[in-house]
Amino acid sequence: MSIDYAAFRRELEEFARKACPPEIRAVVAAGQKVTKREYQAWQKICNAKGWGAPSWPKEAGGTGWDIKQRLIFEEVMAESDCPPLYHHGLGHIGPVIIRFGTTEQKARLLPRILDGSDWYCQGYSEPGSGSDLASLQTSARREGDEYVINGQKIWTSHAHEANMIYMLVRTSKEPKKQDGISLLVVPMDTQGITVRPIKSIDGWHHLNEVFFDEVRVRADNLLGEEGKGWTCAKYLLERERLPPANVARLELVRRQVTRLVDEAAAAAGARRDFSTLRHKLLLCEADVKGARVLMANATDDMIHQRPLGVQPSVIKMICGECAQRLTTIALDAVGPQAAQRFLADAGEDVAEATWIQNYMFTRSRTIAGGTAEVQRNVVANELFGA
Amino acid sequence: MATFDSLFPGMLLDSASRFAQDHVSTEVTGDPVRELGWTATIVPEEAGGVGASLADLASIVEGVASYGLHLPVVEACGVVPVLLQAAAPDVAKRWLEAVAEGSAQIAPLTALSASLDEATVQAKHLDIGFELDGEVLGADASLPASHYLVPAQLEGDLALFLVDAERIGAPAASYRTMEGARGADLKLAKLSVPEGACIARGAAARDSLVAADNVALLLNGADTVAALSALIQHTLAFLKERKQFGVQLSTFQVLRHRCAEMYLKYMGAKGLVIHCFHEHEAGAADLRRTLRLAKVSLAEAARFCAEAAIQSHGGMGMSEEVLATRLAQRLLGSEFRYGDRLAHVARLLAPQATAAEGRNVSNLTGSAR
Repeated sequence: MSIDYAAFRRELEEFARKACPPEIRAVVAAGQKVTKREYQAWQKICNAKGWGAPSWPKEAGGTGWDIKQRLIFEEVMAESDCPPLYHHGLGHIGPVIIRFGTTEQKARLLPRILDGSDWYCQGYSEPGSGSDLASLQTSARREGDEYVINGQKIWTSHAHEANMIYMLVRTSKEPKKQDGISLLVVPMDTQGITVRPIKSIDGWHHLNEVFFDEVRVRADNLLGEEGKGWTCAKYLLERERLPPANVARLELVRRQVTRLVDEAAAAAGARRDFSTLRHKLLLCEADVKGARVLMANATDDMIHQRPLGVQPSVIKMICGECAQRLTTIALDAVGPQAAQRFLADAGEDVAEATWIQNYMFTRSRTIAGGTAEVQRNVVANELFGA
Repeated sequence: MATFDSLFPGMLLDSASRFAQDHVSTEVTGDPVRELGWTATIVPEEAGGVGASLADLASIVEGVASYGLHLPVVEACGVVPVLLQAAAPDVAKRWLEAVAEGSAQIAPLTALSASLDEATVQAKHLDIGFELDGEVLGADASLPASHYLVPAQLEGDLALFLVDAERIGAPAASYRTMEGARGADLKLAKLSVPEGACIARGAAARDSLVAADNVALLLNGADTVAALSALIQHTLAFLKERKQFGVQLSTFQVLRHRCAEMYLKYMGAKGLVIHCFHEHEAGAADLRRTLRLAKVSLAEAARFCAEAAIQSHGGMGMSEEVLATRLAQRLLGSEFRYGDRLAHVARLLAPQATAAEGRNVSNLTGSAR
């Protein structure tokens, strides 16, 4: 039976309009930071409708939508100022559990992601092991039916509010450093875990260091085979590099920044010249249109289990750099006022300063999940055959 | 060999650098700018000051900026003495003496983001004295102030008022600026001030505000070059120290090229700032235009280097604990002081600005000092 995509879009638009609370949409519309509170509330609302995991197969609790439906979903939600669905559970570890998890693990872990009960953070990076992920040192030794974890993770987003972490650990030392790595899921309230905040340049608290001191976790929290975690990690990374590059969200930001520039230009009159910013905005508009097609093709390949090749790296770079250009334009538009009024002592939001925070935060788009330099190496290696 | 020579070397730079280094990771308390006697630097000798040049004051700015320390040296030691000289000689002398000896803590009540001659306060002449009305958003509030210098619009022209801080009262709101300094919004709601509070008006006020703005732009430029120098040196040290994929980061060609590009931007900025100081010293007719041009160019260089340093530091670059990150924030913050690039471009491209601000050939020879 063919799908009536126009009707599907109308259904989504009505849902977004009626189901998403105005206070959550206001946060998104203003470009403010979406926190756990908004993410969790929106996840519960979508899940109650049966749309908690648009990208998962039906048998795992997802929608089973085709590629076009998923793109329409993303577009409508972005156009309606609804927040994105939180990516660490749905976009990262969820697909890994579906692909590599046991029947018991699927039954235990997936429903809690769907209803928003479990909030994951990602324990990949370590001091000295950023983009060179395989050099990680955090260890897990097997003792009976438990793993005992020791080590440190860093740049762990949302670790202070997550109740679960998925993490790569070294379970044996092999000559090839990609071997001997395993993937574990660990409850954050396990004894021996300490979270220390890292003050980041955007003034928000989302980054942390996480210390593991003789942390004991049941062995049935191992995903995939022991020592074969690198396979899971690569599978996850391929998917990680696509969702943050979400083109629908990029289009939302482009429209927000265009509105911001219009308002700032009107307020400034002839005192400031916005022609350069408007020129840059046009180029961003073109970039977003191109990226939309690339994203659709890559998602289609992903669904049909075709190899993704360098597509995730290419899309990550195009979208990450476009996001940086957009927030840079916003910085230029609001900078003179907002730079001097970055964070209010009284605690209330400084509306313009949110865009400086976004500019600062967006610096991470070419660092996190593999730096732009590493992505370019991936592409160059493909081009040159080594 | 690549060098990072200081713009204005000497004892003042050394002492300011040492002070900044000692306080780089601790919160500054008290009023070090006045305690160290820096406010006397460009105050004329006959008013009890040191009578030093702007280059000497730039040495202090450079020393402080090299370690990312946030002190309003430009405002307290540069802008204030220049503005006070707009007053009648006896009034100017009295207040300059107070500034030099530190008995008066005078701060400009201006939006740090705007040119000094863009007054947002309105003044009205009453039978006795004046009434000030308006709002200043994002003024520097890093140090205590006993008095404020308030530029205001008065009868279609500019005027300059010196007002007790007590009269103005507490800020309506206070903030952390993007580079970690203190900012504040101050509201003047039909504030009555005595006749004598108006220390200059008309051409005297206008000229002094432009002169002070020129000084602010010059010192802001020196600050930017010093921060660039420190930023690049810290980035080089980081890349030499850190390893990834088993080799030093400094061996990756892409990172090497980026650092080379940063160095080119830094050297270009340095040359431009030296040129600006020459033009100022020579009283060049097109000084205003040159300074606007420099502000736009320095903003480009600073933005590029700040972003490149953050990227080169990887995850570390996102943390405020890293000095290079704080220097990057400082560079971005400096961009938005005394008019951003959009404001200066608007003035440079306005047809009447070209004629009004002159377009003479600059002196290209000689040292900065």
